[in-house]
Amino acid sequence: MNPSQGITSTTVGPAKGRFVSLLRGLPFSEYFVLLLTLALFLSLAPFAPGLASGSNILNTASYLLPLFVAAVGMTVVMITGGIDLSITSIIALASVTGAKVMTTHGDALHTVLGIFIMLSLGVALGALNGAMVALLRLPAFMVTLASMMFLSGFAIWSTQSKNIYDLPASFLALGKELPIALSIVMVLALGAHLFLRRTVYGHWLYAVGQNSMAARISGVPVAGVVIGAYMASGFCAALASVILTGRLETGSPVLGREILLDIVGATVVGGTSLFGGRGKIAWTLFGVLFLALLDNALNLLNLSQFAITIAKGLVILLAAVLDSARQRFSRGAL
Amino acid sequence: MKNQSQCIFSFLLLLGLAACSKPKSTTPVGDSKQLTVGAAFETLQTEYWVAGFEAVRTELKSRNINMLEAIADGDPNRQFQQVKNFITRKVDGIILVPKDAKTCIPMIRAANDAQIPIVLFNRPADRSDVQSTAIVADNRKLTRETVSYMIDQARKMGTKHKAMVVLGDLGDINAIGRRDGFEDAIKGNEDVIEVAARVPSEWNQEKAQAGVANGLQANPGIDFIFTSSDFLLPSITSALKAAGRYRRTGDAGHVILGGFDGDATAYRMLVEGYLDATGVQDVYFEAQASVQALLDRRNGKPVNELILDPGFVIHQGNLKERSSRMWGAQVKK
Repeated sequence: MNPSQGITSTTVGPAKGRFVSLLRGLPFSEYFVLLLTLALFLSLAPFAPGLASGSNILNTASYLLPLFVAAVGMTVVMITGGIDLSITSIIALASVTGAKVMTTHGDALHTVLGIFIMLSLGVALGALNGAMVALLRLPAFMVTLASMMFLSGFAIWSTQSKNIYDLPASFLALGKELPIALSIVMVLALGAHLFLRRTVYGHWLYAVGQNSMAARISGVPVAGVVIGAYMASGFCAALASVILTGRLETGSPVLGREILLDIVGATVVGGTSLFGGRGKIAWTLFGVLFLALLDNALNLLNLSQFAITIAKGLVILLAAVLDSARQRFSRGAL
Repeated sequence: MKNQSQCIFSFLLLLGLAACSKPKSTTPVGDSKQLTVGAAFETLQTEYWVAGFEAVRTELKSRNINMLEAIADGDPNRQFQQVKNFITRKVDGIILVPKDAKTCIPMIRAANDAQIPIVLFNRPADRSDVQSTAIVADNRKLTRETVSYMIDQARKMGTKHKAMVVLGDLGDINAIGRRDGFEDAIKGNEDVIEVAARVPSEWNQEKAQAGVANGLQANPGIDFIFTSSDFLLPSITSALKAAGRYRRTGDAGHVILGGFDGDATAYRMLVEGYLDATGVQDVYFEAQASVQALLDRRNGKPVNELILDPGFVIHQGNLKERSSRMWGAQVKK
């Protein structure tokens, strides 16, 4: 071997090699979406008027908080290999149920009672979904699709399509006051993160998602874990409903109807696997940030909604392709 | 794992600190610069909203006003963010098509707080403490007039008719107004019309097609159909064709057909003789009145909170005279 070649390979080569391998590995890095979000922000900030302004960042934060809360629930369910399409219907039903209770009297007791009923309703409906998936062995897609249709129809029927207004100011503050909403979301996100990473139940969720049969043989109570995941999703949907209802000052039977794609999209874009067994709350935060920024930046560039929708669709498709590639990569097929 | 926790916590903490600081208030803009108006539409899913959007754009352009656009895709939370974006960008006025009458109230309040005039196009807000102007078609009255015309046609035939009404998304105030207008017209005319089917469509063409097809199968005698929006006419046409019931006015077995909106399909079907009548929303009037109300509010002139688009019923008898004002006829050209 030529000595000079050897010198090159020991000085420049490894550095270059490390850089190339870093670049190759970037799409598989867990911070890829966060880096992409930063790159998108920095590259579009000079062109999208007001993108970097404090008020725009706060607007975007207010917008993404309920989406993030709902996506946290979706993440937990997706880790088990399931999907919860009923999230948006739970948001709507919790919204009108809570609003009805709160507007009956309008005092502090009924405000607390209304919130308690909203959250309990979410947990109960989640338990019902989970029981049908885990005990009756029905496909999660079918169960939650049926729930979505039933609950959505029920919310509209129970209110006769009428929105509910004049909610108590203390309740509205939960969604309207960003510091309050943010505090709630911080507690949820950190709690969910620690729960997934540091508790036995959290590890069981991943085990069920990776291979439910193996998990069952290993002594994991699969049915209980799955039911718990859907209960968590129902709780998150109801909490998202609290924030959304407060923010929009309205109990609406169609609240959240259009955000299902964003919830699933943000979770998948973040890196949570559609096949189960893989996902983190931080990734979902990155996914929500990325989609919200994309939406906001393209809007500030005054692009038409058609272009924005196409761009978002392509990004979600790319994320799904990347997820599939990750799966094959992890099995050594690449 | 520690990094993950730190990452989430740091981000949310930074956001929290930012949230606690008050954003700068918007400053009034001088009249010397070109005005900019933000148009925030809830959806562009039907021809009507596209026509309305284009009519607003044309009206603003004719007055040398710049337009920013935002479409919320049916999500009021996103629309709130878009309205706040307009406020951040210090627009001179906002034209809003809200998802419904309630969720727009915080948006109007945000515009009021920033002292930016706001006009609601085609969908009014509920009564509240906020200030805005709404330019709306009188859905209930216009539907009542359209269906009354159809009932007159049925009465002329001298036989009792079985009716079907295709309902819109009953979460939409316009759909509710049209449903109520239909019921108003039927009331007192039960000797000629018996309502045999009420088909929910949720503003979805596939659901409308399936619902109408099922309704025709269950009640073969249906010979009177009113749809809450013309954009569902292709679905109804498809179901009628499948049942062998798609016939021109005057032909034996013709189903008396009416709609609402006045889109291009309705115009073509009127010309071809398949449609009896439709209630036309005057998009051009609504766009012109919206921009004028915005400018008047900006200049401190008194403006009514509600400006009604009278609309009109176009039918086989007045098609030639009224088609020049029918937006669907202009789109067709």
